[in-house]
Amino acid sequence: MKKVIFSTIAAAAVTLSGQAFAACGSISMADMNWPSATLMANVDRIILEEGYGCEVEMVAGATTTTFASMDAKGKPDVAPELWTNAMAVALGVAMDEGRLHSARKMPIQDLGEGWWVPDYVLAKNPDLKTVLDILERPDLFPAKEDPSKGEFIGCPAGWGCQLSNINLFRAFEMEKKGWILVDPGSQAGLDASMAKAVERGDNWFGYYWSPTEPVGRYNMKLMDFGVPFAGSDNWDGCVALAEQECDDPKPSSWTVSMVHTIVTDNFKTSAPAEAMDYFSKRIYPGPVMGQMLVYMGDNQADGSDAAIEFLQSHEDVWTTWVSADVAAKVKASL
Amino acid sequence: MSFWTDIPSLSRADLRDLKKGIDASFREFSKNYGEGIEAFFDPLYFFLVKLEKLLIAAPWPIILILVGGLAYLGSRSWKLALGSMLAFVVIGYFGMWKDMMATISLISVATIMCIAVGIPIGILMSRYNRVQSAITPILDLMQTIPIFVYLLPVVMLLGIGRVPGLIAVCVYAVPPVIRLTNLGIRLVDKETLEAADAFGSNYRQKLFSVQLPLALPNIFAGVNQTIMMALAMVVIASMIGVKGLGMPVLQSIQNQYLTLGLMNGLAIVALAIIFDRVSQKYGQRLQAHRYGADHE
Repeated sequence: MKKVIFSTIAAAAVTLSGQAFAACGSISMADMNWPSATLMANVDRIILEEGYGCEVEMVAGATTTTFASMDAKGKPDVAPELWTNAMAVALGVAMDEGRLHSARKMPIQDLGEGWWVPDYVLAKNPDLKTVLDILERPDLFPAKEDPSKGEFIGCPAGWGCQLSNINLFRAFEMEKKGWILVDPGSQAGLDASMAKAVERGDNWFGYYWSPTEPVGRYNMKLMDFGVPFAGSDNWDGCVALAEQECDDPKPSSWTVSMVHTIVTDNFKTSAPAEAMDYFSKRIYPGPVMGQMLVYMGDNQADGSDAAIEFLQSHEDVWTTWVSADVAAKVKASL
Repeated sequence: MSFWTDIPSLSRADLRDLKKGIDASFREFSKNYGEGIEAFFDPLYFFLVKLEKLLIAAPWPIILILVGGLAYLGSRSWKLALGSMLAFVVIGYFGMWKDMMATISLISVATIMCIAVGIPIGILMSRYNRVQSAITPILDLMQTIPIFVYLLPVVMLLGIGRVPGLIAVCVYAVPPVIRLTNLGIRLVDKETLEAADAFGSNYRQKLFSVQLPLALPNIFAGVNQTIMMALAMVVIASMIGVKGLGMPVLQSIQNQYLTLGLMNGLAIVALAIIFDRVSQKYGQRLQAHRYGADHE
């Protein structure tokens, strides 16, 4: 494989003028330790190497450590999927001072936490547009314990999201509307309850997050809450706290998880402008990312295998991110 | 060369296909038969729900009287009866009443089921050596296999909640009563059995009038262990959505709420001690005649 890549680079270097190549040089890329991020890092690596002639070195990473290293040392140059809620302030400072840049906000569609239903629920009930609509129909999600009530699967005991779910359950007055909140006890319980319902074609309504393999495998749809985000005072000062510390939670959509593709100033100035342009166009549609995560899970594929699979099977997606010229080069290398 | 350093193994692709195949056939099985299997367990499920609701809805003084009364009937000890009632009051006072009722309903049903299943299996094992050699490895498996290995398939079939919780508890808790029933019957004196034979007893008479009564101390030790192990499973059962004292423990583990964890943990311990002392005393009373002691 390596040989093939090297020979294509060599061949390309000979045949093409290579002005972009010289400009790119060697860059380092954070290869995070969860599936969607390692996939994105490897796709970026192949496109930057084959399309823009960079030399890419992969550096293992995790959210806080990678950010700290980028902020302080300017290495690695690129973090394809950085969840920045926990470091919003520090990131803001680094961006103001021009050390770091966001090459792409929200590189994956539908990412983040929220309330999900399987796609067939929406197909069969086209009037369900938002969470508010679903809340009027507890009869569609009958609880086994008491079929006259609707069942909402919350977040496992002890997770931060458990508190938010409990408080939103109160804020939307779901008990009065005929719902019960079920605690699945663990992620395994949560996953299995979703798997069981979807395998049998039953309706399911509950908390989950994306990008994740179950969301892709079971074609889960993130529901719009039907109400706007009611401010961070409401969220951080009430909804995210324990029930006793939150007297009057207001209905709100889930707090937005900010995810960026972050690059260092060094990358922005030294890499070809087309590479920055590539990042700015690079958005993975939610279902495509879901399919890829299922592929990775089923085949125990690592990031580089999955990246090649993505480039081969989802050409229609990634070719819109790059120029025809670059697309042809990348395709030739596969 | 590599023969000596690398153990012969399936290729990565074959192994993957094998795993995928088994997973897929299980999904298929769950899709086709899951509903039927769930329906089979429905009566048990609704019984559990009703019992829990009844216990929660019942006025607390009645539950207290019931607890004290049962403890006294079992142990004939005022101290134990009052102690049990006091423990319940304290647990309720610290806001764990509902969770405790949920736990009690699950544990008592689980214990009854374990005893109902376990003692007959133990008797069979003691009668036929072949049954014993077939069942012993199964019991070993049940006691050692990591719980989530079988719990997740069960949850896929039956959904989260009480029934899979009950199954998990029973799988773990039933072996002691089976083992000790078997052992107890096998330890009954040969001479006693010869005497029974000499009187012309048939198998049934021997079993119910000689073997079981003489094996009672062991059987009760087994029942006691079963109850203890069932209570130890409360937290694990919570991990698949069983309500009760285990939920707050889980929550406190994740968030380092030390007090919450300690309170609920101690409540489980208190329940365990009450169940343990009462059942032990009851077992002792049943055998009191053997030592010629006075019936209190």
